[in-house]
Amino acid sequence: MSEHRIEVIINGEPVTARVPARRLLSDFLRDDLGLTGTKRGCETGICGACSVMVDGRLVKSCLSLAVQADGQPIDTIEGLADGETLHPIQECFINGGGLQCGYCTPGFVMATCALLAANPRPTTDEIRQALNGNLCRCTGYTQIVESIHHAAEKLHGN
Amino acid sequence: MRDFDFLEPASAAEASRMLLDEPEESRLIAGGTALMLGMRQRMLSPRRLISLGRLEALRGIDFDAKEGLRIGALTRHAELAADPAVQTHYPMLASMAARVANPQVRNQGTLGGNLCYADPATDPPGCLMALDAQVVIQGPDGERRLTIEAFLVDYYTTALEPGELITEIRLPPPAEGDRGHYARHLRTAAEHRPLVNLAAWVRQRGHGCEAARLVVGASTVVPTRVPQAEAYLMAHPPSEATVDATAELIASGITPLSDARGSAAYRREMVRVIARRSLAHLFALPLE
Ligand SMILES: Cc1cc2nc3c(=O)[nH]c(=O)nc-3n(C[C@@H](O)[C@@H](O)[C@H](O)COP(=O)(O)OP(=O)(O)OC[C@H]3O[C@@H](n4cnc5c(N)ncnc54)[C@H](O)[C@@H]3O)c2cc1C
Ligand code: FES
Ligand code: FES
Repeated sequence: MSEHRIEVIINGEPVTARVPARRLLSDFLRDDLGLTGTKRGCETGICGACSVMVDGRLVKSCLSLAVQADGQPIDTIEGLADGETLHPIQECFINGGGLQCGYCTPGFVMATCALLAANPRPTTDEIRQALNGNLCRCTGYTQIVESIHHAAEKLHGN
Repeated sequence: MRDFDFLEPASAAEASRMLLDEPEESRLIAGGTALMLGMRQRMLSPRRLISLGRLEALRGIDFDAKEGLRIGALTRHAELAADPAVQTHYPMLASMAARVANPQVRNQGTLGGNLCYADPATDPPGCLMALDAQVVIQGPDGERRLTIEAFLVDYYTTALEPGELITEIRLPPPAEGDRGHYARHLRTAAEHRPLVNLAAWVRQRGHGCEAARLVVGASTVVPTRVPQAEAYLMAHPPSEATVDATAELIASGITPLSDARGSAAYRREMVRVIARRSLAHLFALPLE
């Protein structure tokens, strides 16, 4: 079963690793690199807890192989905060009650990053559309949507 | 998931040769969104995955007013949705691609992978059929083209022969008066896959339609054109009565699937409902 040497840039840092072909990107991040912020939820492409950015595209890391990411930049939830200072999106989720148990939160925050990069001041409808690939069993979504409105305001003004 | 080898051919011809080496044990992988699920659930256990990831020739979208549209097989749904030429000349296709699955799957899943998996519960096949698309196939003996109708054979079955792959999808150039509308119905708002969809395309001349392609997807084993409904629509001036009658013909003209996601009767009724709304939208008719 083939093994591969892959070179990726994780949260800005170059990483070289050997992985078997069957290693999922989610398992590579969590088990090989210890980046456990990325969650495994459904592992069938539904819940979005495993969302990361690959080459600037939001994807589900449970549906990708680590070898497929060879040569590309990968951004995970661990790359957002600046030392002890949280990213404005993270702060807004905390202050706005955009999480309860927190299991879905890294996925939602990554999806929010992707949304706000493409659309700095989204409408409620656009936010709901952009979060269509992420599930939360706790919050009922209302406060997640509000948190994202606040984050957009904070990052991009009125 | 069973162990496998991961191979990275540098050309479509090499990919074709690799497929032929061990046809029973080999699978191509594009985005992987369909394949990973099938392999995790052990519905598929290939020993060799042949990646299309390095085949730059299979990427990109090109439009030419005479030749029409060329979509590389590795084009992702999100790229199709965002392409300016697609938005301008084939708005039905762009609007369909923008609604497939969810943002993450649209950023990873490819059009070629979608067609080749031939899962009935998907969006692009019916829409492409309504737009009279063809797939360009590369194999050991060179290239051939098939219409979507000829390409999609059965549940998870296409007309691809051993060693063949799709390199691109082609659409004829649009003409004056072309209009299309794509509608999908989900069982619940939280579901991603369509239960029923309808792609309606017409070429309008004066008050009537000179041509029509009406295709039901996701509720039949492969997307189904309904010729009797198309003929009726072309023979009658657009009106609320025409729309109602055409929608009835579409709904009665298909053999709907019946499964845990929806009974045949429910699917047929939803086909009628979305067909009526789509056609009214197409002809800018108010519906009560
Ligand atoms: C949660 C979820 C929701 C989804 N919802 C929808 C939906 O709403 N609508 C919808 O349409 N789809 C949906 N899908 C299906 C989605 O997987 C496809 O739309 C996707 O485009 C498949 O492309 P891929 O590149 O990921 O295919 P892959 O998984 O890489 O490949 C799929 C199959 O095609 C073959 N293949 C790939 N490329 C080629 C080629 N060029 N030539 C020959 N064979 C090839 C592979 O061998 C494999 O058998 C959903 C999937 C998931 C996981
Ligand atoms: S764990 Fe990947 S989508 Fe649920
Ligand atoms: S906060 Fe618990 S799943 Fe979302």
